[in-house]
Amino acid sequence: MCVTRRTVLAQLVASTDAERRETTTVDALASALGVDKRTTAEHLNALVACELARIDTDSSVRATISGEELLTLDTDGVVLIDPPGRNGDADA
Amino acid sequence: MSGEADEVRYDPESGRYDVFECPDCNNVVLAVGSDDPPMSCHDQPMERVQDVDMSVDPPNVKEVLLEAFGLPKAGLDICLCVIGEGPMPANEVADTLGYDRSTVTRYLNTLVDLGLLRQSELNREGGGVVKVYHSVDLDWMRQETLVGFYVWAGEAASLIEEANITKREYLEENPDRELPDVFWESFSGSG
Repeated sequence: MCVTRRTVLAQLVASTDAERRETTTVDALASALGVDKRTTAEHLNALVACELARIDTDSSVRATISGEELLTLDTDGVVLIDPPGRNGDADA
Repeated sequence: MSGEADEVRYDPESGRYDVFECPDCNNVVLAVGSDDPPMSCHDQPMERVQDVDMSVDPPNVKEVLLEAFGLPKAGLDICLCVIGEGPMPANEVADTLGYDRSTVTRYLNTLVDLGLLRQSELNREGGGVVKVYHSVDLDWMRQETLVGFYVWAGEAASLIEEANITKREYLEENPDRELPDVFWESFSGSG
């Protein structure tokens, strides 16, 4: 079964809470989505690069505040994230 | 106009669009999507053009966007790269396309300026914001791009009219001379 990155984010937001730091696991997320763990992990890594998700050292995962806010934009179209650079500012 | 084998010619039966002409004057109009109520000129219904000898190169959506809207190729590449992928980091897009990340950011801002993308900001847990570029409302974009293209087509049609008039005037004044090579460059707007 194929799953979009947005679907993974939506499931992650539904399963976790950024403000209360509630997390889930990749296994639980993959199971909820009905896809394999590897596919889920690949999407999660991309979401982390977008700062929409966070993977802690104990491998627990959760959506970030940015991830939760993205879903409220209600856009299914082109979505490209330009997170700040190392100096804290987005590249010009 | 082209001599290529894949050239296309107006087909009144296709239903994709219609070209109407006034039976009394030279007015010709393009209608996309609907002819209800029918196009009129001089308060009389216009007629569908039936016989067109001239054929054209089939347009390519990439070329149309590049030519009509001045959409930079890199900008189009970025949109095509991201469509269907969902949230995608700028770094990944840059790596995929072989651009610098700063180039991707610059063209994203160009797409925002053109009205083809919208920029929003998401709060960041570590402070500051994360920039996100996303599609504008599709119905709005459809309307804007169609109107924008019609403006471009109107400008192009005006150039063709101007060229034809200039050519006629030149030949009337110089019945024994060929058109000079610089003819197509002699009026504004030509390349």
